[in-house]
Amino acid sequence: MPKGWTGKRLRIDLTLRRAWSEDIPEGDLRQWFGGRGINASFFHQNFPSPTSSSENPIAFAVGPLTGTLAPCSGWTSIASFSPFSDPPRYAFTRMAGHFGVPLKGAGFDQCVLQGKADRPLYLWIDDGKVKFEEAGHLWGKGTTETTVAIQEEKGDRSIEVLCIGPAGERQLPFSNVIHRLSWTGDHLGLGYLFGVKHLKAIAIRGKKPVALQDPPRFLNLCLTLKDGIQKDRKLEALKEERTFSLPGRDGKRRMKDGNDSSSPISEQQWTASLSSYLSGQESCFSCPVHCSRNTQHEENCTGGIHLEKAWHFGPHIGVYNGDWTLKLHHLCQAQGLDPFLTGSLLARILDGVENGPLSDQDPVQTDHIWEQGEKAFVILNRIIHDGKNGFHLAVPPSSENKDLDVLADIIPFCKIVVNRLNRMTVSNMIELIGAATGHALSMEDLQETVWSILRMESHLQNKEFPFGDQSSFPRVGEGQINEILKKEERSNESTIHRTTS
Amino acid sequence: MPAISIVPERCTGCHSCEMVCSLAHEGSCSSSLSRIRMKKWEEISVFMPVVCQHCEKPPCMTICPTGARKRVPETGAVVTDEKRCVGCKSCLYACPYSAPVIHPVTKRTMTCDLCNGQPLCTKVCTTGALSYIPEGDLSMERKKAFGEIFLQSMKSTQRLKAEDGPTARVRANGSR
Repeated sequence: MPKGWTGKRLRIDLTLRRAWSEDIPEGDLRQWFGGRGINASFFHQNFPSPTSSSENPIAFAVGPLTGTLAPCSGWTSIASFSPFSDPPRYAFTRMAGHFGVPLKGAGFDQCVLQGKADRPLYLWIDDGKVKFEEAGHLWGKGTTETTVAIQEEKGDRSIEVLCIGPAGERQLPFSNVIHRLSWTGDHLGLGYLFGVKHLKAIAIRGKKPVALQDPPRFLNLCLTLKDGIQKDRKLEALKEERTFSLPGRDGKRRMKDGNDSSSPISEQQWTASLSSYLSGQESCFSCPVHCSRNTQHEENCTGGIHLEKAWHFGPHIGVYNGDWTLKLHHLCQAQGLDPFLTGSLLARILDGVENGPLSDQDPVQTDHIWEQGEKAFVILNRIIHDGKNGFHLAVPPSSENKDLDVLADIIPFCKIVVNRLNRMTVSNMIELIGAATGHALSMEDLQETVWSILRMESHLQNKEFPFGDQSSFPRVGEGQINEILKKEERSNESTIHRTTS
Repeated sequence: MPAISIVPERCTGCHSCEMVCSLAHEGSCSSSLSRIRMKKWEEISVFMPVVCQHCEKPPCMTICPTGARKRVPETGAVVTDEKRCVGCKSCLYACPYSAPVIHPVTKRTMTCDLCNGQPLCTKVCTTGALSYIPEGDLSMERKKAFGEIFLQSMKSTQRLKAEDGPTARVRANGSR
């Protein structure tokens, strides 16, 4: 087995309450390099077409650098048949944070869930052993309560918990899973899928070491990279200003443009208003950037917040009061909602594009509410508690630059950092993988992997793959990636670009 | 005495210190092989690295029945002599910071050795939560302040637990 991997896949059948481990062929690990390829390959071989929503498999996978010192490598790839399309279609996402680290520490590169439990339960994965624990007492609880309750049940606060809130239990389509009260697996409908399966949470403790092919070289590479990132002038600016926005690759800060309802001045006011609640930083695993900010609201600590998520409860819906942005964010966090989709839905309702949850006869009306944030809060509460979930969801379009998505996944690094800090180049990533696994990756290997993954995903999504053979596929290389990154920056809808400090 | 200064307010919980320690000492990455441990209470956003403070009068040295805990004259670090250690865990209980940990393979205690005077954990800590104080600069007041924050974090979670279980804590943190 190549170093950096465990070579094991954890399969869990919730219907039968059975868990087993199987080997992942060494060739697959060498070919796919990381989570996205492993997931696509698994679905391609085992579930080429969608199954019913309760049988719908969900796959979590990590890469060879997960759980190591490699900077920005704490991401987890997730794939399933998403309920956002009818019929459900293969979709994938990435989740930042710490969840993949104990998964590998428990001895697995991939975890696949399928089936449906007959009553609420949560999974307890403890260093390779799996238990199906009753979750009746947790059903109905918010994500913070659930996380803390499970950690205390097991008597270990170091356990990582991925859970749903009441929104997922009610099977709201835009519900989500939340990990460490801060990180979410967005755009996939994971909360809905967990809710359908009666799966409240996955709790993992795993501390098995990740073996490396060339530890001294790997250590030196990581220290050099971390040192370089630390000295990056863009990061210096971030630290000095104590804000949570990152500049673009060209170093310029950008304002949101093209929206009449928002002005740079009001966005600046919103940022200033929100900044007054920031109390500290939080970080993904082994990341030197620390882009998440802790918040302090009315003398209480209220967990981590990311700019792009906050923006969806701020200027995106016409809210310029940081206080209401935080309240909406916390409601979303406690209930387990997808912040991007919830923000999009609220924007449509508030703009009158979508029918609101309140009819003319409804005693709870929002016409008299002057404050936009309060209005959004009342509407969101009503959506959650009345279970009115028949809205058309404006699912964000996938990136135009599939190449970048693939690269950020197969060489599992944080796209936000890769995008902005010049130090993180493809050559550096390839060198790190070489030191970790002993596999000298070439640009040709990379080219073939990207092409193969995109072809498999197109097949799973019933979409035509435009590149019949590899020769017609755009060349993947240092220059190509730089070009893609530049293009990405121009077209990226990420709110990090939209807001200045 | 030299020591690693800890400012818990600056810790973001990235675990880089654990990874670099484990990699440098054991050649693989795992928090269980690290001499420094990150404790977390995410619901109150407290992350805290815990590492040996190389006390002037180390209680671990006093209590160790085999004399395995000793100070290295060159670096001032208080370390375990693996040949003498019998894994009785006395030092774990004597330490006010619970800094010593049991090696999962050798079953002997292990603590920070200050990486021969150049602690790597302080190099990878980009927020300044960890910094190396080579000689006598880290006052007893600073060590006490760290101990106080550690104690307060433990007490605040314990108090809330005693009041009403996790629900009270969540309310106290304003998440609901």
